[in-house]
Amino acid sequence: MKDFTHSLWLLACLCCCHAALAQEDLSRLFTDSSSVQLPVLATFKGTTLVNLQTSKTLHAHDLLFIVGHRFGDFAGANGGGKTFFGMDAISDVLIGFEYGLSHRLTLGIGRDKGAPNGISEYQTQLFYLTGKYRLLEQTTRNQIPISLTLFVRNVFSAVKAQPIPASNIHFTQFTDRLSETFQLLLARKFSERFSAELVPTYIYRATTTPEDPHHLLALGAGLRWKINKRMALIADYVQPFRNTQSRDYYRTLGLRFYPPLGIGWEIETGGHVFHIEFTNATSILENQFIPNTTTTWTNGQFRWGFNLTRTFTLKKGAAEEWKQ
Amino acid sequence: MFAKWFLLTLMGALMFPTIDTPTSTQTPGNSSSPIADVLICRNAHISFYSPAPIEDIKAESDQAVSALNTANGNIYFKVLIRSFTFRRSLMQEHFNEDFMESDQYPFAEFKGNIVQVPDLSKDGSYPVQVQGNLTIHGVTKAYTVPATLTVKNQQVSGHAVFNVKLADHHIQIPRLLMKDIAEQVQVTVDATYTPDPAQQTHH
Repeated sequence: MKDFTHSLWLLACLCCCHAALAQEDLSRLFTDSSSVQLPVLATFKGTTLVNLQTSKTLHAHDLLFIVGHRFGDFAGANGGGKTFFGMDAISDVLIGFEYGLSHRLTLGIGRDKGAPNGISEYQTQLFYLTGKYRLLEQTTRNQIPISLTLFVRNVFSAVKAQPIPASNIHFTQFTDRLSETFQLLLARKFSERFSAELVPTYIYRATTTPEDPHHLLALGAGLRWKINKRMALIADYVQPFRNTQSRDYYRTLGLRFYPPLGIGWEIETGGHVFHIEFTNATSILENQFIPNTTTTWTNGQFRWGFNLTRTFTLKKGAAEEWKQ
Repeated sequence: MFAKWFLLTLMGALMFPTIDTPTSTQTPGNSSSPIADVLICRNAHISFYSPAPIEDIKAESDQAVSALNTANGNIYFKVLIRSFTFRRSLMQEHFNEDFMESDQYPFAEFKGNIVQVPDLSKDGSYPVQVQGNLTIHGVTKAYTVPATLTVKNQQVSGHAVFNVKLADHHIQIPRLLMKDIAEQVQVTVDATYTPDPAQQTHH
């Protein structure tokens, strides 16, 4: 009987070997496919944070419709209940379109009211063209650790020229009406929830008020913190580097410049990106809000605003960005 | 004593054919390695479809990989989630980011076997049952799926259509999108196999 048990063991072992062989791991034939590098998705969901642009460019052949608002002072002398917390005293409005020529290049066009303060900024009736080009895309396995996007905005003020030397609307020729913004957007998606960007900025304004520099450098920073799959907190800050002489000159006129700070709540519903946001900046375009924010959070001079975008897919088809 | 011998003989008789199976269908050149029966496909086509009130959802990938052991019926599929292309890029972004969470779960994988392997040495079309575990979104579920194996000019190809319920794989649809998306998708798989070139080089 001992022999018999022995034989059974032998049989059991043989069967096990056979079973192991039957479940051989075919997956090991394809181990090479596990190390694939892909561009990181959705570092930002919108093309803007509160005030700053994001590194996002549109998908190829997508059209984006944008509406932006900045209301009047929320509180303080010019706000409060009498203006419904700034709603009646709208400071800036923007309507624009952007189009993804390819997944790297987005072009835009739009109209903005402009938010003059009557001391250092007078320009209104702003038309703009934008170009955004994606130079580098962060990849999933960190071979490329950051995304790099170049943003250019060209603004034209159509306001009637006035021969007032102390203003920035004493235009004599077409080119006097132009302002340019160049930004490098260095972004990184640090985790599923957290993305941030640094935004070195150069602004050129052809016409400025006296002592207001034509060339201005600034450094912006922004972040997005995802609360859940649909919602995120967004915030940004820009530090302009205005020279002391210019600052002192405007102080004698009773005007102080403040760095724009924005905080917002982003809701994305698949096609729409909706922002409700708070900022001390009165204007939407970089050539105005970066050099000429003269309102501060501390005096109730912050405002609420909306930014609403809708994406239209004009050409359906597998976009080239997904092809490897 | 007789009982013992009888049992041993019987078991032996039952056992040996099964052990022999992996080698019995081998072609003479393929020596003793059972892997020689393995066919592979590096451009398997996987598509899925889901009717939805606003717009039907359709996506496909031709970058799936598959292996089939024609001797013991083992079958394997693997596809990179990011390789699925949609007609709308934005939909593709949502698919990866919100539904499949493809950063966390980059692949879908199927490990299984064909229940009764037909004799694939002759041309023809063979309906089979495929049994195994499908892992999507990091969640594994057992499936039994009807499939068809076709042999034409000694080339083996497979075709299967089956349904996947999103909830079975813990794929959550954000509430704001709920009414746009069906809870079940129909998956179609097609693979045309060739002998594994890596194995061929050994001979």
